[in-house]
Amino acid sequence: MLIDLLQATKSGIVSFFEWFGELGLFCGQVVRAAFGAPWEGRELVRQMDSIGSKSFPLVALAGAATGVVLSLQTRESLTRFGAKAMLPAVIVFSLIKESGPVITGLIVSGRVGAGIGAELGSMRVTEQIDAMEVSAVNPYKFLASTRVLACLLMLPLLTLAADASGIFLGWISTTLSHPMTLRLFLHNGLRDATLNDFLPPICKTAVFGLIIGFVSCFQGMRTRGGTEGVGRSATSSVVLSSLFIILADVILVRFIQVVFPS
Amino acid sequence: MSQTFRLGLFIVATLAVLVAGVFMIGSRESMFQSTYRVKADFQNVAGLADGADVRVGGLHEGTVKQIQLPNRSDGKVTVSMDLQKATRDVLKKDSVAAIKSEGLIGDKYVEISFGTDSAAQLKNGDTIASEAPIDMSNLVKKADQLLDSAKSGVADLNGTASNLKSISAKVDQGKGTVGALINDKTVYQKVNAGATALAEDAEALKHNFLLRGFFKNRGYEDASDLTKNAIAHLPESTPMKTFEYDGREIFAKPNEAKLKNEKTFQEAGDYLQANKFGLAAVVVSVGMKGETDKDRVLSEGRATAIRDYLAKNFRLDDTRIKTIGLGKTNGTGDGGKAEIVVYSAASSAVGPAVGPAGSPALQTK
Repeated sequence: MLIDLLQATKSGIVSFFEWFGELGLFCGQVVRAAFGAPWEGRELVRQMDSIGSKSFPLVALAGAATGVVLSLQTRESLTRFGAKAMLPAVIVFSLIKESGPVITGLIVSGRVGAGIGAELGSMRVTEQIDAMEVSAVNPYKFLASTRVLACLLMLPLLTLAADASGIFLGWISTTLSHPMTLRLFLHNGLRDATLNDFLPPICKTAVFGLIIGFVSCFQGMRTRGGTEGVGRSATSSVVLSSLFIILADVILVRFIQVVFPS
Repeated sequence: MSQTFRLGLFIVATLAVLVAGVFMIGSRESMFQSTYRVKADFQNVAGLADGADVRVGGLHEGTVKQIQLPNRSDGKVTVSMDLQKATRDVLKKDSVAAIKSEGLIGDKYVEISFGTDSAAQLKNGDTIASEAPIDMSNLVKKADQLLDSAKSGVADLNGTASNLKSISAKVDQGKGTVGALINDKTVYQKVNAGATALAEDAEALKHNFLLRGFFKNRGYEDASDLTKNAIAHLPESTPMKTFEYDGREIFAKPNEAKLKNEKTFQEAGDYLQANKFGLAAVVVSVGMKGETDKDRVLSEGRATAIRDYLAKNFRLDDTRIKTIGLGKTNGTGDGGKAEIVVYSAASSAVGPAVGPAGSPALQTK
């Protein structure tokens, strides 16, 4: 009994580290495959479209909702502290520094991570990937690196979209209760903002994109066990990439504070 | 809509947001405008932070780029500011940087004053003068001291007021010199008595040998004496007797009323002593020389002097001796003339007296 437990713990720890090891190897192969011809341009555009522009409505909606919620919630708190004039600044800062990037990362990991995990997983269980290897097409290059690169490039842009729609809806929500022009709202909101408040959080989402791409592709390509495995891969892609995004955010926020002081 | 178009639209739109954001924020940091750097040294920056506003004439015209602690304990904190080129026209070498605060607890910013027109332009890296910031804690401390001193001032005032109160109370009660002065009637009485004594002293002085001559020469001691026994004109009835004298013979000097050769009046005096008369008028006139006013006084003085002589030296009723000063009169000669006109008791009714004292003689029977 005890031995079984120890055995299970041991195998759990071993598989934990094995997972990271395999992920590292996978990342290395994808990065190696990404450099050098042939450039899978058409596939990259297709992935960028499905990850980027097709996620736009979802991300913009999420950002807008965040902006409205921030406006509604903080107005009450700020009024209590007699700092209502700070409302635009609170909405803008909250969105561009943290809410925008994290909401975008989580939304995309949910939508894209699940898609990649399920797509690659089903390709794996239906042995399409094996067929690809046989026909001298590097699946790491054609399938993985294009998706990872698309995630890397699209996440910052989606974050910008989330920020913009969040600030706009935040303004609308604010101006409905307390009329002010968009110009004044932006002026007040950005008055104390610096580029260090704006650009590093945008670039940070490229890391989120890498996490989504690598984790989802890895989980999809190591799928085992038929359709059940495909479902597991889709779920684990979303769960793991969301988890890693939040964990990475902790490190990234601290990193930005140190390297880009505002 | 092809996927390429959709992707392109998405990329362009989001990059436009990026560009807009970068420029909106960047313009506040003066990142895309040509700037120049100006420094100012402060003893204390009162919480000024990197990136704070620099205002020129109240406008945002720059950013605080760096705040450096000095490397020596007697050094000052150096604030480096990036200012827009446009401010070069108004900021000169004698501009002064001051750290101010938006409201009491608001953000700190640097305000740079305009320079004088004649001063030199600022160059990149120049250091300008600074003004010590108002430190809230110092302000509170000073306000506290001010209140303390105001408090002690009020206490002093209270003391003064109570002193005044006790003084006025004492005055009211007649205590002390001022109180006595105000409340004690004896002081007034004494002053009054003193004044009377002074008047008597003055009177005595007039009779003192040193001053006596002056009054004697003048013929009278007090201006009121001149007209005390004066009458306006002679009675209309015929006089009993008239004695005439030449002025030059009976008076010592032409412009004085001092008598000489008093024996001349012996006859007139004897006559008056011997005969019961109703009124004797001493009528004096002087020559045409001199001022009219002075001559009138002189004639009155001379008449008074003659009357006094008669009253002093003969036993007669001096209340019936009256004077008339005619002043300048034509045809009297330079020395003037004097007359003693005597009327009987029956015919001595005269006109109203000129003198203020009046005269019982006017109602003679």
